[in-house]
Amino acid sequence: MPSPSLTSLMGFERKFVVGVGGLAVSNNQSMILTTYSLGSCLGVTIYDPEIRAGGMLHAMLPDSSINAAKAAEQPAMFIDTGIGALFRAAYELKADKYRMQICVAGGAQFLDKTGFFNIGQRNIAHLTRLLDQHGLTIDAKDVGGLVSRTLHLHLGTGEVRVKISGESEEKILFKGYASAG
Amino acid sequence: MQALDKYINEIKTLPPAPRVLSQLLLLLNDVDAHADQIVELIAFDPALTAGVLKRCNNAVTGRSVSDLDEAVKQVGFNAIYRLVAMVVGEGLLGSEQRGYGIGRGELWEHSVTTALAARVIARKQNGEENLAFTAGLLHDIGKLVLGTFLEGSRQLVVKGTRQSGQSFLEAEQTILGVEHAEIGGRVLARWNFPENLVSAVWHHHNPVLARPHEQLAAYVHLGDIIAHCLGQAQGFESFALRPQPSALEILKISPDGIDTLVLETDEALNQCNGLIKKAG
Repeated sequence: MPSPSLTSLMGFERKFVVGVGGLAVSNNQSMILTTYSLGSCLGVTIYDPEIRAGGMLHAMLPDSSINAAKAAEQPAMFIDTGIGALFRAAYELKADKYRMQICVAGGAQFLDKTGFFNIGQRNIAHLTRLLDQHGLTIDAKDVGGLVSRTLHLHLGTGEVRVKISGESEEKILFKGYASAG
Repeated sequence: MQALDKYINEIKTLPPAPRVLSQLLLLLNDVDAHADQIVELIAFDPALTAGVLKRCNNAVTGRSVSDLDEAVKQVGFNAIYRLVAMVVGEGLLGSEQRGYGIGRGELWEHSVTTALAARVIARKQNGEENLAFTAGLLHDIGKLVLGTFLEGSRQLVVKGTRQSGQSFLEAEQTILGVEHAEIGGRVLARWNFPENLVSAVWHHHNPVLARPHEQLAAYVHLGDIIAHCLGQAQGFESFALRPQPSALEILKISPDGIDTLVLETDEALNQCNGLIKKAG
Protein backbone atom coordinates (compact mmCIF):
# COMPACT_ATOMS: atom_id res chain seq x y z
CA MET A 1 0.00 0.00 0.00
CA PRO A 2 1.34 3.48 -0.77
CA SER A 3 2.47 5.50 2.19
CA PRO A 4 -0.03 8.09 3.34
CA SER A 5 0.37 11.49 1.83
CA LEU A 6 1.31 14.49 3.89
CA THR A 7 -2.17 15.94 3.59
CA SER A 8 -3.86 12.88 5.08
CA LEU A 9 -1.34 12.74 7.92
CA MET A 10 -2.15 16.30 8.76
CA GLY A 11 -5.87 15.68 8.58
CA PHE A 12 -6.51 17.90 5.61
CA GLU A 13 -9.10 16.68 3.18
CA ARG A 14 -9.48 17.76 -0.36
CA LYS A 15 -12.88 17.87 -1.94
CA PHE A 16 -13.47 16.96 -5.55
CA VAL A 17 -16.85 17.93 -6.97
CA VAL A 18 -18.55 15.60 -9.42
CA GLY A 19 -20.86 17.60 -11.69
CA VAL A 20 -24.21 16.62 -13.20
CA GLY A 21 -23.57 13.91 -15.75
CA GLY A 22 -20.06 13.39 -14.42
CA LEU A 23 -18.07 10.70 -12.67
CA ALA A 24 -14.77 10.44 -10.81
CA VAL A 25 -12.69 7.66 -9.28
CA SER A 26 -9.68 7.93 -7.02
CA ASN A 27 -7.50 6.11 -4.54
CA ASN A 28 -6.31 9.32 -2.93
CA GLN A 29 -7.28 8.75 0.66
CA SER A 30 -7.26 12.37 1.64
CA MET A 31 -9.98 13.08 -0.86
CA ILE A 32 -13.72 13.44 -0.53
CA LEU A 33 -15.86 13.06 -3.62
CA THR A 34 -18.94 15.27 -3.47
CA THR A 35 -21.89 15.85 -5.71
CA TYR A 36 -24.50 18.56 -5.24
CA SER A 37 -27.94 19.09 -6.69
CA LEU A 38 -29.30 15.55 -6.68
CA GLY A 39 -32.95 16.11 -7.54
CA SER A 40 -34.39 13.29 -9.59
CA CYS A 41 -30.80 12.51 -10.63
CA LEU A 42 -29.06 9.59 -8.93
CA GLY A 43 -25.75 9.73 -7.16
CA VAL A 44 -24.00 6.35 -6.96
CA THR A 45 -20.86 5.65 -4.95
CA ILE A 46 -18.72 2.52 -5.17
CA TYR A 47 -15.86 1.72 -2.81
CA ASP A 48 -13.43 -1.15 -2.50
CA PRO A 49 -12.39 -1.17 1.19
CA GLU A 50 -9.44 -3.47 0.60
CA ILE A 51 -7.56 -1.15 -1.66
CA ARG A 52 -9.34 1.98 -0.47
CA ALA A 53 -10.36 3.19 -3.86
CA GLY A 54 -13.74 4.26 -5.05
CA GLY A 55 -15.77 6.50 -7.24
CA MET A 56 -18.92 8.49 -7.71
CA LEU A 57 -21.41 8.94 -10.54
CA HIS A 58 -24.05 11.67 -10.95
CA ALA A 59 -26.42 10.39 -13.64
CA MET A 60 -29.33 12.47 -14.86
CA LEU A 61 -31.49 10.11 -16.89
CA PRO A 62 -32.10 6.36 -16.97
CA ASP A 63 -31.78 5.35 -20.58
CA SER A 64 -29.13 6.38 -23.10
CA SER A 65 -31.19 5.21 -26.07
CA ILE A 66 -32.84 8.67 -26.28
CA ASN A 67 -29.54 10.16 -27.47
CA ALA A 68 -26.76 7.77 -28.45
CA ALA A 69 -24.43 10.58 -29.51
CA LYS A 70 -24.71 12.23 -26.10
CA ALA A 71 -24.13 8.87 -24.39
CA ALA A 72 -20.95 8.33 -26.41
CA GLU A 73 -19.69 11.80 -25.56
CA GLN A 74 -20.76 11.81 -21.91
CA PRO A 75 -21.67 8.29 -20.70
CA ALA A 76 -22.12 9.46 -17.10
CA MET A 77 -25.25 11.35 -18.14
CA PHE A 78 -27.26 8.11 -18.18
CA ILE A 79 -27.61 5.30 -15.65
CA ASP A 80 -27.12 2.52 -18.20
CA THR A 81 -23.91 3.85 -19.72
CA GLY A 82 -22.73 5.63 -16.55
CA ILE A 83 -22.65 2.61 -14.24
CA GLY A 84 -20.49 0.68 -16.70
CA ALA A 85 -18.16 3.64 -17.08
CA LEU A 86 -17.90 4.08 -13.29
CA PHE A 87 -17.02 0.44 -12.65
CA ARG A 88 -14.56 0.32 -15.53
CA ALA A 89 -12.79 3.42 -14.23
CA ALA A 90 -12.53 1.83 -10.78
CA TYR A 91 -11.10 -1.39 -12.26
CA GLU A 92 -8.25 0.74 -13.60
CA LEU A 93 -7.36 1.35 -9.96
CA LYS A 94 -7.47 -2.44 -9.33
CA ALA A 95 -10.80 -2.31 -7.54
CA ASP A 96 -12.74 -5.57 -7.45
CA LYS A 97 -16.34 -5.76 -8.58
CA TYR A 98 -17.55 -8.02 -5.77
CA ARG A 99 -15.77 -6.18 -2.97
CA MET A 100 -17.48 -2.98 -3.95
CA GLN A 101 -19.67 -1.22 -1.38
CA ILE A 102 -22.46 0.46 -3.33
CA CYS A 103 -24.50 3.40 -2.06
CA VAL A 104 -27.18 5.40 -3.80
CA ALA A 105 -28.84 8.77 -3.12
CA GLY A 106 -31.25 11.00 -5.01
CA GLY A 107 -34.15 10.03 -7.25
CA ALA A 108 -36.56 12.50 -5.65
CA GLN A 109 -40.15 12.14 -6.80
CA PHE A 110 -42.90 14.61 -7.56
CA LEU A 111 -46.48 14.13 -6.45
CA ASP A 112 -47.29 12.63 -9.82
CA LYS A 113 -49.90 9.91 -10.17
CA THR A 114 -49.37 9.58 -13.92
CA GLY A 115 -45.67 8.74 -13.59
CA PHE A 116 -44.97 10.86 -16.70
CA PHE A 117 -42.68 13.17 -14.79
CA ASN A 118 -41.07 10.75 -12.37
CA ILE A 119 -37.59 10.50 -13.80
CA GLY A 120 -36.37 9.78 -10.25
CA GLN A 121 -38.45 6.64 -10.02
CA ARG A 122 -37.30 5.46 -13.44
CA ASN A 123 -33.67 6.16 -12.53
CA ILE A 124 -33.93 3.99 -9.42
CA ALA A 125 -35.72 1.17 -11.25
CA HIS A 126 -33.15 1.19 -14.03
CA LEU A 127 -30.21 1.13 -11.62
CA THR A 128 -31.67 -1.68 -9.51
CA ARG A 129 -32.32 -3.78 -12.62
CA LEU A 130 -28.82 -3.19 -13.93
CA LEU A 131 -27.08 -4.07 -10.67
CA ASP A 132 -29.30 -7.13 -10.35
CA GLN A 133 -28.21 -8.36 -13.76
CA HIS A 134 -24.61 -8.20 -12.53
CA GLY A 135 -25.31 -9.90 -9.23
CA LEU A 136 -24.66 -6.71 -7.28
CA THR A 137 -26.69 -5.26 -4.42
CA ILE A 138 -27.00 -1.81 -2.93
CA ASP A 139 -25.50 -1.57 0.57
CA ALA A 140 -27.23 1.65 1.59
CA LYS A 141 -29.59 4.07 -0.06
CA ASP A 142 -31.44 7.29 0.57
CA VAL A 143 -33.72 7.66 -2.41
CA GLY A 144 -37.12 9.00 -3.43
CA GLY A 145 -39.07 11.38 -1.28
CA LEU A 146 -39.64 15.08 -1.85
CA VAL A 147 -36.14 16.36 -1.23
CA SER A 148 -32.94 17.37 -3.03
CA ARG A 149 -29.67 15.93 -1.72
CA THR A 150 -25.90 16.32 -1.60
CA LEU A 151 -23.73 13.17 -1.46
CA HIS A 152 -20.18 12.70 -0.12
CA LEU A 153 -17.79 9.72 -0.31
CA HIS A 154 -14.75 9.77 1.95
CA LEU A 155 -12.05 7.84 0.11
CA GLY A 156 -9.97 7.26 3.22
CA THR A 157 -12.68 5.29 4.99
CA GLY A 158 -15.46 4.54 2.54
CA GLU A 159 -17.88 6.53 4.65
CA VAL A 160 -20.83 7.94 2.71
CA ARG A 161 -22.78 10.96 3.92
CA VAL A 162 -25.93 12.60 2.67
CA LYS A 163 -27.22 16.10 3.23
CA ILE A 164 -30.85 16.92 2.59
CA SER A 165 -31.49 20.38 1.16
CA GLY A 166 -33.02 22.72 3.71
CA GLU A 167 -31.66 20.67 6.66
CA SER A 168 -28.58 21.76 8.53
CA GLU A 169 -27.09 18.37 9.46
CA GLU A 170 -25.46 15.74 7.27
CA LYS A 171 -26.29 12.12 8.05
CA ILE A 172 -24.15 9.03 7.69
CA LEU A 173 -25.62 6.79 5.00
CA PHE A 174 -22.91 4.14 5.18
CA LYS A 175 -20.24 3.79 7.81
CA GLY A 176 -17.16 2.70 5.91
CA TYR A 177 -15.55 -0.63 6.79
CA ALA A 178 -12.08 0.69 6.17
CA SER A 179 -11.32 2.45 9.41
CA ALA A 180 -8.92 5.36 9.36
CA GLY A 181 -6.44 3.64 11.67
CA MET B 1 -58.96 39.45 1.84
CA GLN B 2 -57.29 41.17 4.78
CA ALA B 3 -54.61 38.49 4.86
CA LEU B 4 -53.95 39.01 1.19
CA ASP B 5 -53.61 42.78 1.67
CA LYS B 6 -51.02 42.17 4.34
CA TYR B 7 -48.90 40.17 1.93
CA ILE B 8 -49.46 42.55 -0.95
CA ASN B 9 -48.31 45.47 1.18
CA GLU B 10 -45.17 43.52 1.82
CA ILE B 11 -44.35 44.01 -1.86
CA LYS B 12 -43.23 47.50 -0.94
CA THR B 13 -40.23 45.99 0.80
CA LEU B 14 -39.09 44.33 -2.43
CA PRO B 15 -36.38 45.94 -4.55
CA PRO B 16 -37.56 48.51 -7.12
CA ALA B 17 -39.76 47.13 -9.87
CA PRO B 18 -37.77 45.70 -12.75
CA ARG B 19 -39.61 48.06 -15.11
CA VAL B 20 -36.82 47.86 -17.59
CA LEU B 21 -37.87 44.30 -18.39
CA SER B 22 -41.48 45.09 -19.17
CA GLN B 23 -40.42 48.13 -21.21
CA LEU B 24 -37.87 46.09 -23.14
CA LEU B 25 -40.50 43.43 -23.80
CA LEU B 26 -42.73 46.13 -25.30
CA LEU B 27 -39.90 47.30 -27.54
CA LEU B 28 -39.23 43.71 -28.56
CA ASN B 29 -42.73 43.42 -29.95
CA ASP B 30 -42.59 46.77 -31.70
CA VAL B 31 -41.44 46.34 -35.29
CA ASP B 32 -40.50 50.03 -35.47
CA ALA B 33 -38.28 49.87 -32.39
CA HIS B 34 -34.77 51.13 -32.99
CA ALA B 35 -31.54 49.98 -31.33
CA ASP B 36 -31.07 53.50 -29.92
CA GLN B 37 -34.24 53.18 -27.86
CA ILE B 38 -33.04 49.93 -26.38
CA VAL B 39 -29.63 51.35 -25.51
CA GLU B 40 -31.22 54.44 -23.99
CA LEU B 41 -33.46 52.35 -21.76
CA ILE B 42 -30.59 50.24 -20.40
CA ALA B 43 -28.12 53.15 -20.18
CA PHE B 44 -30.51 54.90 -17.78
CA ASP B 45 -29.27 52.53 -15.09
CA PRO B 46 -25.45 52.60 -14.78
CA ALA B 47 -25.24 49.48 -12.60
CA LEU B 48 -27.35 47.58 -15.10
CA THR B 49 -25.19 48.81 -17.97
CA ALA B 50 -22.02 47.69 -16.20
CA GLY B 51 -23.54 44.28 -15.43
CA VAL B 52 -24.63 43.75 -19.03
CA LEU B 53 -21.25 44.75 -20.45
CA LYS B 54 -19.41 42.54 -17.98
CA ARG B 55 -21.45 39.49 -18.95
CA CYS B 56 -21.18 40.36 -22.59
CA ASN B 57 -17.40 40.35 -22.32
CA ASN B 58 -17.31 37.21 -20.20
CA ALA B 59 -19.19 34.79 -22.26
CA VAL B 60 -20.97 36.00 -25.31
CA THR B 61 -18.36 37.46 -27.61
CA GLY B 62 -15.00 36.61 -26.12
CA ARG B 63 -14.07 40.09 -27.31
CA SER B 64 -13.98 43.22 -25.29
CA VAL B 65 -17.11 45.32 -25.61
CA SER B 66 -16.88 48.77 -24.15
CA ASP B 67 -20.26 50.32 -24.77
CA LEU B 68 -23.86 49.30 -25.15
CA ASP B 69 -24.16 50.37 -28.79
CA GLU B 70 -21.39 48.01 -29.69
CA ALA B 71 -22.82 45.24 -27.51
CA VAL B 72 -26.23 45.44 -29.20
CA LYS B 73 -24.58 45.41 -32.63
CA GLN B 74 -22.41 42.42 -31.77
CA VAL B 75 -24.76 40.05 -30.04
CA GLY B 76 -28.14 41.32 -31.19
CA PHE B 77 -31.14 42.55 -29.31
CA ASN B 78 -32.41 39.18 -28.13
CA ALA B 79 -29.14 38.23 -26.45
CA ILE B 80 -28.90 41.69 -24.87
CA TYR B 81 -32.44 41.36 -23.60
CA ARG B 82 -31.62 38.07 -21.88
CA LEU B 83 -28.46 39.58 -20.36
CA VAL B 84 -30.55 42.43 -18.97
CA ALA B 85 -33.04 39.91 -17.61
CA MET B 86 -30.21 38.00 -15.96
CA VAL B 87 -28.69 41.07 -14.32
CA VAL B 88 -32.09 42.22 -13.07
CA GLY B 89 -33.05 38.71 -11.97
CA GLU B 90 -29.87 38.10 -10.04
CA GLY B 91 -30.31 41.32 -8.08
CA LEU B 92 -33.92 40.51 -7.37
CA LEU B 93 -33.76 36.80 -6.57
CA GLY B 94 -30.30 36.31 -5.09
CA SER B 95 -31.13 36.56 -1.40
CA GLU B 96 -31.60 33.73 1.09
CA GLN B 97 -35.22 32.65 1.70
CA ARG B 98 -35.17 31.04 5.11
CA GLY B 99 -38.90 30.33 5.12
CA TYR B 100 -38.33 27.94 2.24
CA GLY B 101 -34.93 26.65 3.37
CA ILE B 102 -33.43 28.27 0.27
CA GLY B 103 -29.85 29.50 0.61
CA ARG B 104 -28.28 32.59 -0.90
CA GLY B 105 -28.20 32.40 -4.69
CA GLU B 106 -30.29 29.22 -4.85
CA LEU B 107 -33.61 30.80 -5.87
CA TRP B 108 -31.73 32.66 -8.58
CA GLU B 109 -30.21 29.44 -9.91
CA HIS B 110 -33.58 27.73 -9.88
CA SER B 111 -35.20 30.69 -11.64
CA VAL B 112 -32.61 30.96 -14.37
CA THR B 113 -32.73 27.20 -15.02
CA THR B 114 -36.52 27.41 -15.28
CA ALA B 115 -36.12 30.36 -17.65
CA LEU B 116 -33.72 28.45 -19.89
CA ALA B 117 -35.95 25.37 -19.91
CA ALA B 118 -39.04 27.47 -20.74
CA ARG B 119 -37.08 29.06 -23.58
CA VAL B 120 -35.89 25.68 -24.91
CA ILE B 121 -39.51 24.52 -25.08
CA ALA B 122 -40.81 27.80 -26.55
CA ARG B 123 -38.18 27.69 -29.26
CA LYS B 124 -39.21 24.19 -30.29
CA GLN B 125 -42.81 25.35 -30.46
CA ASN B 126 -42.05 28.57 -32.31
CA GLY B 127 -43.30 30.46 -29.28
CA GLU B 128 -42.06 33.79 -27.97
CA GLU B 129 -38.70 32.88 -26.51
CA ASN B 130 -38.01 36.09 -24.60
CA LEU B 131 -41.43 36.08 -23.03
CA ALA B 132 -41.02 32.44 -21.98
CA PHE B 133 -37.57 33.24 -20.60
CA THR B 134 -38.86 36.21 -18.57
CA ALA B 135 -41.87 34.32 -17.22
CA GLY B 136 -39.57 31.48 -16.18
CA LEU B 137 -37.18 33.89 -14.54
CA LEU B 138 -39.88 35.60 -12.49
CA HIS B 139 -42.17 32.62 -11.78
CA ASP B 140 -41.22 32.26 -8.12
CA ILE B 141 -41.07 35.95 -7.29
CA GLY B 142 -43.96 35.42 -4.86
CA LYS B 143 -41.56 33.48 -2.65
CA LEU B 144 -39.73 36.74 -1.92
CA VAL B 145 -42.94 38.00 -0.33
CA LEU B 146 -44.03 34.85 1.50
CA GLY B 147 -40.57 33.72 2.63
CA THR B 148 -40.64 35.88 5.75
CA PHE B 149 -44.11 34.71 6.73
CA LEU B 150 -43.21 31.04 6.33
CA GLU B 151 -40.28 31.27 8.72
CA GLY B 152 -40.94 29.00 11.66
CA SER B 153 -43.60 27.02 9.77
CA ARG B 154 -41.32 24.32 8.51
CA GLN B 155 -42.81 21.58 10.70
CA LEU B 156 -46.30 22.52 9.54
CA VAL B 157 -45.27 22.33 5.89
CA VAL B 158 -43.57 18.95 6.40
CA LYS B 159 -46.60 17.66 8.28
CA GLY B 160 -48.81 18.80 5.42
CA THR B 161 -46.71 17.21 2.71
CA ARG B 162 -45.74 13.95 4.42
CA GLN B 163 -48.82 13.21 6.51
CA SER B 164 -51.59 14.74 4.43
CA GLY B 165 -50.01 14.37 1.00
CA GLN B 166 -50.27 18.10 0.33
CA SER B 167 -48.21 19.88 -2.28
CA PHE B 168 -46.07 22.77 -1.06
CA LEU B 169 -48.57 25.12 -2.67
CA GLU B 170 -51.44 23.56 -0.74
CA ALA B 171 -49.42 23.71 2.47
CA GLU B 172 -48.81 27.43 1.89
CA GLN B 173 -52.53 27.91 1.32
CA THR B 174 -53.35 26.10 4.57
CA ILE B 175 -50.77 27.93 6.66
CA LEU B 176 -50.86 31.44 5.15
CA GLY B 177 -54.20 31.51 3.35
CA VAL B 178 -52.46 32.29 0.08
CA GLU B 179 -49.81 30.72 -2.14
CA HIS B 180 -46.68 32.07 -3.81
CA ALA B 181 -47.82 31.74 -7.43
CA GLU B 182 -50.84 34.00 -6.88
CA ILE B 183 -48.74 36.50 -4.93
CA GLY B 184 -46.17 36.44 -7.72
CA GLY B 185 -48.84 37.21 -10.30
CA ARG B 186 -50.14 40.08 -8.18
CA VAL B 187 -46.64 41.50 -7.74
CA LEU B 188 -46.08 41.51 -11.50
CA ALA B 189 -49.51 43.05 -12.13
CA ARG B 190 -48.66 45.81 -9.69
CA TRP B 191 -45.42 46.33 -11.57
CA ASN B 192 -47.40 46.69 -14.82
CA PHE B 193 -46.07 43.61 -16.53
CA PRO B 194 -48.18 42.47 -19.49
CA GLU B 195 -51.23 40.37 -18.74
CA ASN B 196 -49.87 37.20 -20.37
CA LEU B 197 -46.81 37.26 -18.13
CA VAL B 198 -48.89 37.97 -15.01
CA SER B 199 -51.22 35.12 -15.85
CA ALA B 200 -48.43 32.64 -16.66
CA VAL B 201 -46.72 33.32 -13.33
CA TRP B 202 -50.01 33.28 -11.38
CA HIS B 203 -50.97 29.88 -12.82
CA HIS B 204 -47.57 28.30 -13.31
CA HIS B 205 -48.65 25.36 -11.15
CA ASN B 206 -51.81 24.76 -13.19
CA PRO B 207 -51.45 26.18 -16.70
CA VAL B 208 -55.02 25.40 -17.80
CA LEU B 209 -56.24 28.21 -15.53
CA ALA B 210 -54.11 30.76 -17.41
CA ARG B 211 -56.37 30.60 -20.47
CA PRO B 212 -55.98 32.27 -22.98
CA HIS B 213 -52.29 32.33 -21.99
CA GLU B 214 -52.07 28.65 -21.12
CA GLN B 215 -49.27 28.04 -23.57
CA LEU B 216 -46.93 30.48 -21.84
CA ALA B 217 -47.96 29.09 -18.45
CA ALA B 218 -47.24 25.56 -19.72
CA TYR B 219 -43.71 26.58 -20.78
CA VAL B 220 -43.11 27.82 -17.25
CA HIS B 221 -44.76 24.80 -15.61
CA LEU B 222 -42.62 22.33 -17.54
CA GLY B 223 -39.58 24.57 -17.15
CA ASP B 224 -40.07 24.49 -13.36
CA ILE B 225 -40.28 20.69 -13.38
CA ILE B 226 -37.20 20.36 -15.57
CA ALA B 227 -35.25 22.65 -13.20
CA HIS B 228 -36.21 20.27 -10.38
CA CYS B 229 -35.02 17.30 -12.44
CA LEU B 230 -31.69 19.04 -12.95
CA GLY B 231 -31.28 19.45 -9.22
CA GLN B 232 -31.88 23.20 -9.38
CA ALA B 233 -34.59 23.24 -6.75
CA GLN B 234 -33.21 23.72 -3.29
CA GLY B 235 -35.10 24.15 -0.05
CA PHE B 236 -37.06 21.64 1.97
CA GLU B 237 -39.77 19.45 0.42
CA SER B 238 -39.00 21.05 -2.91
CA PHE B 239 -40.40 18.10 -4.88
CA ALA B 240 -43.82 18.49 -3.26
CA LEU B 241 -45.40 19.76 -6.42
CA ARG B 242 -47.94 18.29 -8.78
CA PRO B 243 -46.80 18.15 -12.40
CA GLN B 244 -49.81 18.63 -14.66
CA PRO B 245 -50.22 16.27 -17.63
CA SER B 246 -52.43 19.02 -19.09
CA ALA B 247 -49.24 21.04 -19.70
CA LEU B 248 -48.10 18.28 -22.06
CA GLU B 249 -51.48 18.30 -23.79
CA ILE B 250 -51.47 22.08 -24.23
CA LEU B 251 -48.06 21.92 -25.91
CA LYS B 252 -48.71 18.61 -27.66
CA ILE B 253 -45.60 17.08 -26.13
CA SER B 254 -45.50 13.33 -25.63
CA PRO B 255 -44.51 12.11 -22.13
CA ASP B 256 -41.59 10.31 -23.83
CA GLY B 257 -40.22 13.70 -24.84
CA ILE B 258 -39.58 14.90 -21.28
CA ASP B 259 -36.16 13.25 -20.92
CA THR B 260 -34.96 14.93 -24.11
CA LEU B 261 -36.14 18.33 -22.86
CA VAL B 262 -34.19 17.77 -19.64
CA LEU B 263 -31.09 16.94 -21.67
CA GLU B 264 -31.50 19.98 -23.92
CA THR B 265 -31.96 22.29 -20.95
CA ASP B 266 -28.79 20.90 -19.39
CA GLU B 267 -26.94 21.75 -22.59
CA ALA B 268 -28.39 25.27 -22.63
CA LEU B 269 -27.32 25.62 -19.00
CA ASN B 270 -23.76 24.57 -19.80
CA GLN B 271 -23.61 27.02 -22.67
CA CYS B 272 -24.26 29.99 -20.44
CA ASN B 273 -22.74 28.77 -17.20
CA GLY B 274 -20.37 31.70 -17.10
CA LEU B 275 -23.35 34.01 -16.95
CA ILE B 276 -25.15 32.25 -14.14
CA LYS B 277 -22.56 31.63 -11.49
CA LYS B 278 -23.77 33.44 -8.46
CA ALA B 279 -21.75 36.39 -7.36
CA GLY B 280 -19.55 36.03 -4.29
